[in-house]
Amino acid sequence: MGAAGSKLEKALGDQFPEGERYFGLENFGNTCYCNSVLQALYFCVPFREQLLEYYSSNKSTGDAEENLLTCLADLFTQISSQKKKTGVIAPKRFVQRLKKQNELFRSYMHQDAHEFLNFLLNELVDILEKEAQAAKSDQETSSPPEKMVNGPKNAQANGSHKDPLVTWVHKNFQGILTNETRCLRCETVTARDETFFDLSLDIEQNSSITSCLKNFSSTETLNAEDKFFCDKCCSLQEAQKRMKIKKPPHILVIHLKRFKYIEQLGRYKKLSYRVVFPLELKLSNTVEDAESEYSLFAVVVHVGSGPNHGHYVSLVKSHNHWLFFDDENVEMIDESAVQTFFGSAQEYSSNTDHGYILFYESLGTSNKS
Amino acid sequence: MINTSNGMMSTTSSSNAQSPGLKTYFKTPEGRYKLHYEKTHPSGLLHYAHGKTVTQVTLAHLKDKPAPSTPTAPSSSFSTGSGVRSAAARLLGGGNGSRALSFVGGNGGSKSVSASSRVGSLVASSSSSSTSTSNFDGKGTYLIFNVGDAIFISDLNSQDKDPVKSIHFSNSNPVCHAFDQDAKDGHDLIIGLNSGDVYSVSLRQQLQDVGKKLVGAQHYNKDGSVSSSRCTSIAWVPGGDGAFVVAHADGNLYVYEKSKDGAGDSSFPVIKDQAQFSVAHARYSKSNPIARWHICHGSINSIAFSTDGASLATVGRDGYLRIFDYSKEQLICGGKSYYGALLCCAWSMDGKYILTGGEDDLVQVWSMEDRKVVAWGEGHNSWVSGVAFDSYWSSPNSDGMGETVMYRFGSVGQDTQLLLWDLEMDEIVVPLRRCPPGGSPTYSAGSQSSHWDNALPVGTLQPAPIMRDVPKISPLVAHRVHTEPLSGLMFTQESVLTVCREGHIKVWMRPGVSESQSNNSETVLSTSLKEKPLSSGKVGSSSYKQ
Repeated sequence: MGAAGSKLEKALGDQFPEGERYFGLENFGNTCYCNSVLQALYFCVPFREQLLEYYSSNKSTGDAEENLLTCLADLFTQISSQKKKTGVIAPKRFVQRLKKQNELFRSYMHQDAHEFLNFLLNELVDILEKEAQAAKSDQETSSPPEKMVNGPKNAQANGSHKDPLVTWVHKNFQGILTNETRCLRCETVTARDETFFDLSLDIEQNSSITSCLKNFSSTETLNAEDKFFCDKCCSLQEAQKRMKIKKPPHILVIHLKRFKYIEQLGRYKKLSYRVVFPLELKLSNTVEDAESEYSLFAVVVHVGSGPNHGHYVSLVKSHNHWLFFDDENVEMIDESAVQTFFGSAQEYSSNTDHGYILFYESLGTSNKS
Repeated sequence: MINTSNGMMSTTSSSNAQSPGLKTYFKTPEGRYKLHYEKTHPSGLLHYAHGKTVTQVTLAHLKDKPAPSTPTAPSSSFSTGSGVRSAAARLLGGGNGSRALSFVGGNGGSKSVSASSRVGSLVASSSSSSTSTSNFDGKGTYLIFNVGDAIFISDLNSQDKDPVKSIHFSNSNPVCHAFDQDAKDGHDLIIGLNSGDVYSVSLRQQLQDVGKKLVGAQHYNKDGSVSSSRCTSIAWVPGGDGAFVVAHADGNLYVYEKSKDGAGDSSFPVIKDQAQFSVAHARYSKSNPIARWHICHGSINSIAFSTDGASLATVGRDGYLRIFDYSKEQLICGGKSYYGALLCCAWSMDGKYILTGGEDDLVQVWSMEDRKVVAWGEGHNSWVSGVAFDSYWSSPNSDGMGETVMYRFGSVGQDTQLLLWDLEMDEIVVPLRRCPPGGSPTYSAGSQSSHWDNALPVGTLQPAPIMRDVPKISPLVAHRVHTEPLSGLMFTQESVLTVCREGHIKVWMRPGVSESQSNNSETVLSTSLKEKPLSSGKVGSSSYKQ
């Protein structure tokens, strides 16, 4: 773990952030999908801090059963408590646990980083909810740890759950979308809320994330075979539908739908479109004028021309420096290098490194002067 | 090249060069703009150049003869956008008797300009050049553009796609350039490099030379001795007597004087606060650069002088537009984008408005009078990379004095589109727009709430406006002009020029100009072409693909 580490340390010099660790992750055969997402999550500071906090408070209660959450907490603790500032760590236990847990990730095939992120976040939430339930039944009287604060407003968000729990995973990643459908006959607007951990956006060639978000929230007309059952009219009616963001998440994860199923081919194809993403972003497709600004802090990049092979790397912003994580390797890069991962304006291009998952953190509500 | 797999592409992705989706004209209320010429670079360069640099274009007009003793009139160099510098506007009103075309400083050219008179002037200028076959004086209008490690020079009025000259740089890539129409001492072209190095040369001398290297150049900031940060934007100071400024990616702007030897020691004090504006002057009178302006944290992406040279606008990575009193070296006013970096800026000819474009996909109209954003143009689907006022546009209803002044401006974006806009100040105040004939979507405008009118003291920067507070305008025309993301646009009297990042330039003739002129100018210019030293630029075949 010498050369690369010391090079990075040299590059940062006395600007090396106090207490920060930059460790590469060993690849166990096509586990770059996992490594790239783990790095993005590690440098999602509020998430990391809460996970480490969970780990330290959980350790004291005696060793619980191993699960994906404990493995992740273990790994993050291992990284953050390293004596050296840089180096390589093998996320062996985590990867083993992941493969045990989900057969999808068991093979040595190329996996989808977004699917992994999705699986991981949901798994963490499940584990936390189960723990909370266990704690609740253990001691009925005491109040459950993290009860929803503004209950009635979002209560139905999770549908089946009687009493949805807001874990720290939710607090970081969960946002609420509202699906507004307006019946064109009676003009009644039906709003249905749904929660999300990330937004999956359709992409177009030579467009921006701003434009993709606009399209995501654009009005869609339901007609012909796709009519809407209006409760008021008690019949199928033409309607207009649009998705708006009711509650913007603290960490906004945007997934670009680069892998598209092409019916004529009967398989998936990678879209290498150039989709530019700004380092700062505001959501304009919100229910209320939120105007809160987000700042980009991590990008998971898919390298390769097809969906079934290739490589994942990640770009991470830590203490105002941009770092490039490629499994074991960690390098410092210039902020302007981020734009080399936008995609290709032409299909034939030899550039195959494309931004795939974007992580933005809210900077809090902006100036309301 | 790889055309085997298009069937499955969605409609928006048909971006191959042969794309049938690209039309060779676009309609406006005043008529059709037609694709007249295309300019490009030898195709062999493409793979090397692809994505490495962003092409910018400078328009340069070389006059009849080398005039070493030009009176020091206010210089003509002014910028029209991030990707494009124009120095040619004034040449049309330069007091040359044969060119009686009035070029009104305010807003737009006179309506009396007719196609025939323009052709006449072209003929006149071209034919006179044929007299000097042996001693080629390079007279004409040229496009100077950078691709990869080279600067290319094309004849604007020639139908030839390929450049007449290429200049290769061995040390670094040229990234920005500017031309001074009225330069003294021959050096009229300045070039900024990726390495931070800067050169000044005589354009005519380059055209006369047959080699592929820069000749007779003065070298500033040699090997990054003053700043090794990438040059981002360069401009002659209008009326600055050979002074020019170079903006860098580290947030600094250096002031040079071309008459001075670049060798003098120029060291500047360490910048204490990266976020604070400060100006430092060189300690020795022989030093060049003579001053450093630290403008912002992060890159300065584009700069533009007002036509009179009194004010300098900068836009940068931090999302702020800043306007400085150039001679006083003071910040006058400025404001933040909605979000993200600003990439380009341009002044109106009368100095009343500044356009900016950036990473929030918006075209922003800044009013110098109100010292705030007065309109947001919505219509691009990606970042806005070039903005420019059409200074030749005359509003159809601007006959009487005191009427609403209408401005025409254009913008280009990484969405490969050219958008044209009308700005009528009445509409801004009462921001409900009539439906544009193009059928583009109209946006309802925000309320003119009272906190809009707060006048701010000199030197303060405005925070990002709130979406609902800013009136929105919609484009008159939106046209996909290239297959690649665009980097700039420029208006000339006859045409609109668009340029893409990869170095392809399209010349769109204004309505009513193209038919009558193309025939004439082609014949005239084909004769003058023969006299030009063609060898250097003609590397690739003319059948350029993609």
